Amino acid sequence: MTGDLDVADGRIGEAELEELRAATRDFLTAKADEAAVRAAAASDRGYDEKVWAQMAEQLGLQALALPAEHGGDGAGMTALSVVLGELGRVLLPAPFFSSVVLAGTALAAAGDADAARRLLPGIAAGTTLAALAAPGRDGGWDLDGADARGGLAVAAEPGQCGVTLDGSAPLVVDGAGADVVLVVAAGPAGPTLCAVDGTAVGLTRTSLPTLDLTRRVARLDFWSTPATVVGEPGGAAGVLRRVLDVATAALAAEQVGGARACLDAATAYAKDRVQFGRPIGTFQAVKHKCADMFTRIQVADAAAREAAAALDGAAGAPDPGVAAAVAHVVCSEAFMAVAAENIQVHGGIGFTWEHPAHLYFRRAKSSQLLFGGPAVYHERLLARAGM
Amino acid sequence: MPSDTDSFVEEARAFLDTHATRRTGGGQAVQWGVGDDQVAYFSADPPDVDAARVAEAKAWQKVRHDNGFGWITGPAEFGGRGLTSVHDLAYDALEAEYDVPDTSVLSLIGLGMIGPTILTHAQEHIRRRYLPAMYAGDIIACQLFSEPGAGSDLASVRTSAVRDGDEWVLSGQKVWTSVAQHAAVGLALCRTDPDKPKHRGITAFLVDMAAPGVEIRPLRQMSGGADFNEVFLTDVRVPDDHRLGDVDGGWAVALTTLMNERASVGGEGAAGPAGRAVSLPFLAELLRANGRLDDAAARRELAGLYAEVAATDYLNHQSLRRARAGEQPGPEASVSKLMYARNLTRGAHFAAEVVGPRLVADTGEWGTFAWAELLLATPALRILGGTEEIMKNILAERVLGLPKEPGIDTKSPFRELRRSGRGES
Repeated sequence: MTGDLDVADGRIGEAELEELRAATRDFLTAKADEAAVRAAAASDRGYDEKVWAQMAEQLGLQALALPAEHGGDGAGMTALSVVLGELGRVLLPAPFFSSVVLAGTALAAAGDADAARRLLPGIAAGTTLAALAAPGRDGGWDLDGADARGGLAVAAEPGQCGVTLDGSAPLVVDGAGADVVLVVAAGPAGPTLCAVDGTAVGLTRTSLPTLDLTRRVARLDFWSTPATVVGEPGGAAGVLRRVLDVATAALAAEQVGGARACLDAATAYAKDRVQFGRPIGTFQAVKHKCADMFTRIQVADAAAREAAAALDGAAGAPDPGVAAAVAHVVCSEAFMAVAAENIQVHGGIGFTWEHPAHLYFRRAKSSQLLFGGPAVYHERLLARAGM
Repeated sequence: MPSDTDSFVEEARAFLDTHATRRTGGGQAVQWGVGDDQVAYFSADPPDVDAARVAEAKAWQKVRHDNGFGWITGPAEFGGRGLTSVHDLAYDALEAEYDVPDTSVLSLIGLGMIGPTILTHAQEHIRRRYLPAMYAGDIIACQLFSEPGAGSDLASVRTSAVRDGDEWVLSGQKVWTSVAQHAAVGLALCRTDPDKPKHRGITAFLVDMAAPGVEIRPLRQMSGGADFNEVFLTDVRVPDDHRLGDVDGGWAVALTTLMNERASVGGEGAAGPAGRAVSLPFLAELLRANGRLDDAAARRELAGLYAEVAATDYLNHQSLRRARAGEQPGPEASVSKLMYARNLTRGAHFAAEVVGPRLVADTGEWGTFAWAELLLATPALRILGGTEEIMKNILAERVLGLPKEPGIDTKSPFRELRRSGRGES
């Protein structure tokens, strides 16, 4: 029979995906235990530069899904999802999501060969860090959706060579440490993707206190900051739509990884913790909580996989925009619920600063809200489904 | 995937093209206010319509059988095709493209659960006697498991079977028996030794449903219809060769049936009229027709429901693909069953909220009071085929490895165990 949905449409096989998962997990087990994650998150730059470099040199993770013609391996979303699941499992603080997923996808989608040639090989090698600013004045991402009402945060005016930017981007993931920042600015021709050097004159970057301790966010203020246009002037809406689909699908895989770590911790604790003379996992109140967590994760995992397969153009897969929006809703809510229940299964110990449960709770809520949160993602799903 | 699947599918397509018509248009466009507004989960048909449906189902199964598609995975000596579950799934996927009679009255219990149990545990001549007739659509089989005192705790069945020469004499009451009124034969779990621990004193029998002493009474459920039965057994005589498995070895037989039940119920899609409760196009039309398309709360609930329904579909498709690739079914079946119940329930309540007071009484308006049957059927979804609580125990213990609850008595003689109600033993 033909027409079966092959993983990544034949780009990378099931066995290779398993190898990729094992290699990534082994690497992270060695380099990113809880102490290392906490130390990296608390460091000046917010991540471990050595580990970041090794990720690129030893495993080639940054290059994995980027276009082959610009230094990547073109392995597709299903492969990328495997990596993100592992990164999410340990909450690795690293500019992977910001540089590779957000900025990398924007550059690949912008159709600007020069900009791609200039920036993508460095991003793929991990030597260039790029960021993509949330375009909305309120931190929102949809240009055509519910949160477009806030308008664009940054305006682009024609300048001496390229454009100059003015405005404030309130939420830029890993924006403070990026070598290059991509901004969707309001230009004369409409929303326009622009690239700004991290050290450009007239750019002020302020690292912000964050809910999620393992992911940095900065505010960027632009005062007649010189920038170059990437892709067609006025053509950023389509780029952004693609970025949203890819980024929410990628985030979904990361969320499933985080949720699995929570369930693993909760079940291990329920087997070990004794109260009333028996492991608390023998009580149905606890047992059913764990079963509920498992059920949510199974469904979320299926949604994340389907979204990745759809974005890879796999045969028989649903519409990629719909599948990504479904995954974003289901995985956001599953991770949040599971992160909260993990603390409940642990009881008092789960509420301490020393216990890692809160790191997952923080990541869960932060990633649920990053692209607009429930009010926005429900409407985005209906819009993608044509309603 | 076996290399012969392509030619098998070609053959199946030729068969279906000859004997059935292909569905047209995919039924995507919703025509509001036109045709039947039914969203029922259980059939609420009068007996004559019900009987006609059963006859249709049997006739279609016969056509399948005569053309080599009646029992694709079954051994050839019992009328099967001797192929793999990969072929079986391929056929199901293909047949779904055609407009054919619903055969669930035969397949859900009889062919899906009882057939495999007979094949595994019955003597040769019993297999010859029943299996070809079942898979040819001649007879229907039912499952005589649950009792008033044995629901989730199935191993506490009390229906007694006492040996009398070459026969056994069965007495007791079974309940929640689907299709008993149409069945020629039933698989009964009986207590043969109350002095042994409960799992070790049970024996399984194939009971002739027309035998003297078998009385079938329809059991009316809360949604109004009678889709189940109570079956009373009073000194019913069963020949010893109709015993499945060893004397007191009936629990192993029951496990074979239950394993097939989980696969059977879990894979249930949201087809049929009730599928409208989880269909985005239909529910979007429901909102539009009721002037609620701009209602933010309703839109949000619809999106949340749609996301869960779509994700559950993705999970089912992925399990199916893995099954087609020959992988053993994982815990997805229990997850799918939990989600199916949750989604359909959520859809029914969503529709009820949109329809509002027109669900309080039948105003005659299209697409309003029709939701009542489904709404009243939803509590069953969390109970039948293994309660939600039992499903969660299975996931927690068998998948996550959490320890069993201590203090569940599996060692004392059945006779000494506590019973509900008056508590005498």
